[in-house]
Amino acid sequence: MRIYNPTFGVSAAAGAKVALKPVNWKTDAIALVSNSKPNARELLDGIRSKLGASRQVDNIKFLAKNSASQPAPKDLLEEVAANYRGALLAIAD
Amino acid sequence: MIATETFKPLVMAQAKARKVEPRLIIVKHPIGGLNADELRERIEAATKGLSEATTK
Amino acid sequence: MKDIAEQEVIDLPDMDVEAFNEFATQQGWSDGMPLYIPTEDKVAKFVATVRGDNRPYPPVPPRLVVPTIQALAANAVMAGCKPEYFPVATAAMRGVLDPAYNLHGTLATTHSCAPMVMVSGPVRKELNINCGSNCFGQGWQANATIGRALGLMLLNVAGAKPGEMDRSTQGNPAKFTFCFGENEEDNPWTPYHVRRGFAPTDSVVTVMSGEGPHNLNDHGSNTGVGLLTTFAGGMATPGANTVYGKGPLFIIIGPEHAATLKRDGFTIESMQEELHKRSRVHASRISKENQETYNSTGHKPDGDWYSITPTPQDIHITVAGGPGKHSAFIPSFGGTTVACVRIAR
Repeated sequence: MRIYNPTFGVSAAAGAKVALKPVNWKTDAIALVSNSKPNARELLDGIRSKLGASRQVDNIKFLAKNSASQPAPKDLLEEVAANYRGALLAIAD
Repeated sequence: MIATETFKPLVMAQAKARKVEPRLIIVKHPIGGLNADELRERIEAATKGLSEATTK
Repeated sequence: MKDIAEQEVIDLPDMDVEAFNEFATQQGWSDGMPLYIPTEDKVAKFVATVRGDNRPYPPVPPRLVVPTIQALAANAVMAGCKPEYFPVATAAMRGVLDPAYNLHGTLATTHSCAPMVMVSGPVRKELNINCGSNCFGQGWQANATIGRALGLMLLNVAGAKPGEMDRSTQGNPAKFTFCFGENEEDNPWTPYHVRRGFAPTDSVVTVMSGEGPHNLNDHGSNTGVGLLTTFAGGMATPGANTVYGKGPLFIIIGPEHAATLKRDGFTIESMQEELHKRSRVHASRISKENQETYNSTGHKPDGDWYSITPTPQDIHITVAGGPGKHSAFIPSFGGTTVACVRIAR
């Protein structure tokens, strides 16, 4: 017998490789991006403090989604892309 | 990206859908609900993971 | 030979329903209840019912594939729909694909939300979609299978596999099916879809990512004010996502409660105002830690009170159910919208 596949569809993801510039995690500006869930900020804050033992941290900034349930807004993504060489995202509950 | 072990399957499924390969630092679950002492272990693990991932 | 997942049509040895269900379960296509077999013939009958609707579907998150109409139909067949239900199921699918519905968030969340589907307009009667006694419950093929078809589409097309892309902590029985009709005949106010700008002759599907219905029992109040006191008290729950996530919710008023409220002069707008004001949650009922989190993410209280919707208009109100002194509160995921789609026929 022949059946239709209930999962069938055409993938919309392009999968294009993005050319990433190398990041110097010892010196470059880094964004710490929280998903706004409880303790995400505290986790990132703790990491930032620990990084302070081996690098300057005044160019490591905190950013956050304004809602844990919504996608990151475009202006947040643009801010990260424009101002930071690296980003560390915390996504968990 | 820092994710807990419990949420790794979600990250990987979403990455597969987008055909991207995330650079992941996996720590124990959960993050939310931990007190400062409990969170310290996650901070240690995440910092160690970050250090290893960025010095390769 | 392509992997099964990549084949639009799959050739299988002839098998009975039990064997097909074993196969489908192995493929991850099942919600755990028995499935009908989506044969080419059956799928063709479903597809024929939406021939006039050529609008393309966008990529469906989180899996981000553009579905074929045959794949959507296969899910409706498996759910046990009749072919004539399919335009309702596809309208519901279009509703959850409204970007403001936030399908990705509502499927990947740890919250228990499920897609609530409400059907208004002439199609409700034509398809025998229950809007009366036990409208949220069992016993009606259309209610049971249209809601289930949407659930299977989200599992199989959107990729919301429990424990993988569907991260719900506890889930919700409404994830199996949650479809009911608006009881326009017993609604003393303007039907919901007409309030949303559709013609009374339009048939419309309304979707919201919600919890299951929370009962609002009030046998004692014989005034509209009394009933709204009970409704507001039932809505003011510190554990609702909307306390910090903000977003819409539904109040589904039972016909007898609706008659009392109408008799006492309440309009939809005056009920929205009253409920918005009186369903606020006092800060003393919110933990200190949660208050800090809410404040840090911009969900600040008004004085000592947290409102559970951004505005009175986010309290959506209509009528469904049969005789009895009960109504229902359906909280939403929070970061979502109430989307309406006209059923193409």
